Amino acid sequence: MSIILSFSRVIKFTFQNILRNFWLSFITMTVFLLTLVTINSVLFINVVADSVLESVEKKVEVTVYFTPEASEDITKAAQGYLRGFLQVRDVQYISAEDALATFQERHAFDDVILSSLNEIGDNPFGNALVISAMSTNDFDFILEALETPEFSPYIRDKDFDDYQTIIEKINALSLRIRIAGFALAALFGLIAVLIIFNTIRVAIYVHRDEIGIMKLVGANDWFVRGPFLLEAILYSLVAVIMMIIIMFIFLTASETSLMNYFDESYNSVYQYFLNNSLIIFGAQFLGLAILSILTTAYAMRKYLRV
Amino acid sequence: MIRFSNVTKTYPPDTHALQHVSLHIKPGEFVSIVGQSGSGKTTLAKMLFAEEKPTRGEIVIGDWEIHKIYPWQIPQLRRQIGIVFQDFKLLQRKTVYENVEFALQVAGESKKRIKEVIPQVLKIVGLQDKKHRYPRQLSGGEQQRVSIARALVHRPKILVADEPTGNLDTIHAHEIIELLRKINDYGTTVVLVTHDRDIVNSLKKRVITLADGKVVSDVECGKYHIS
Repeated sequence: MSIILSFSRVIKFTFQNILRNFWLSFITMTVFLLTLVTINSVLFINVVADSVLESVEKKVEVTVYFTPEASEDITKAAQGYLRGFLQVRDVQYISAEDALATFQERHAFDDVILSSLNEIGDNPFGNALVISAMSTNDFDFILEALETPEFSPYIRDKDFDDYQTIIEKINALSLRIRIAGFALAALFGLIAVLIIFNTIRVAIYVHRDEIGIMKLVGANDWFVRGPFLLEAILYSLVAVIMMIIIMFIFLTASETSLMNYFDESYNSVYQYFLNNSLIIFGAQFLGLAILSILTTAYAMRKYLRV
Repeated sequence: MIRFSNVTKTYPPDTHALQHVSLHIKPGEFVSIVGQSGSGKTTLAKMLFAEEKPTRGEIVIGDWEIHKIYPWQIPQLRRQIGIVFQDFKLLQRKTVYENVEFALQVAGESKKRIKEVIPQVLKIVGLQDKKHRYPRQLSGGEQQRVSIARALVHRPKILVADEPTGNLDTIHAHEIIELLRKINDYGTTVVLVTHDRDIVNSLKKRVITLADGKVVSDVECGKYHIS
């Protein structure tokens, strides 16, 4: 028997099954698609949340204030020392004069502050270093690295700004979104399993005469089961293709708004999905196909005695 | 060709469909299996195409040992045995031609072979002019002839007909029996399961009578005699 011929007939019978039970096929594919929409929504939110986190993290800086006794050489030595660490993204040197000038500029219209500054007479500011790190988690390490006999006597203060709180909040929110999203995806997955199971059961019932006759005239196991399995794979394939179309329409539409919202530090979500589309949608197709094949196999074992 | 040796079939808990049945059917024979309802004749017929397996005993058909057959071997066996049922088992949404074609398609036959075989079998059963009709457009007798044509596509050595005239009037029933006789004349062994007295008597062939799952008589050129 020619395998290709046999396979082409299995494909023919599969399409006959799908078309003859059009509404049942349509509902099954819709449920598949809804499951995928949930999964991709969760993924989209995660990617956006990561992008926000990264953009906020880039803005986090720690300012280390040196005492007025610390000379420019000592401060610059500290700058060079910090730049040697992989965890450090950048270190900016701000001289005491610059600090004073910035302060004066910022409070140009505040006479009280300016007059108190005049009363002090000398420049009360010391040199400072503004440090940005590769990751906010690295700041503990960086600040500890400054605790050496060489620099620590000259350090007056370290100012960790409020970004830390924002990051913690975003992290917590992102985790909650992930958990809720996965729970929702799992729920839709379960519904999909039940619907696939029922679809196959109904299909087997509808085709019971045909199956009986196939068995009677000597169709082998694979010929009887093949169309049902192929049907499950086709549903998965069509659902994933539709999902890809919907996703890229949505991504294209949302890209401009996201770009405006997150300024130049925005990592394109569209680009992320485009670059990883093979893995993202390939994995979704595989997952859906394996799930539906297993469900179909179980339904057939239970209801189709060949 | 077909040998039953001390075959017993028991359905749980204690229904004995067949008890210690032994018989031998030679190649080319035409054998009628007769008996009242519940006598075990349908169970015996089902064993011929491995729809049922014996609880005890041995069944050998040609090179096949039915009592030992594996599920994956059954399709091969069924392509060598033609089967005809009382209710025809035709696909209502397919034409005469397509119904016969279906049997060849599922067996993986080539298009060329399908085109060769179908006109031949339709000619044997006399339906070459009605090949585009649907089952509902045919009489009962004609539908049974389609079912016989389908059973013949694999050129079986054995044809099992389980009550093939049960749904037919006398005229059509005799037409079907004449067709089975013609097929037997070509060399195919025919096992006819029936409870139709007139048919059995008109055939004047071997008759095996079953009662309560046992063979109570086995007569060459026999008659239907059940009290």
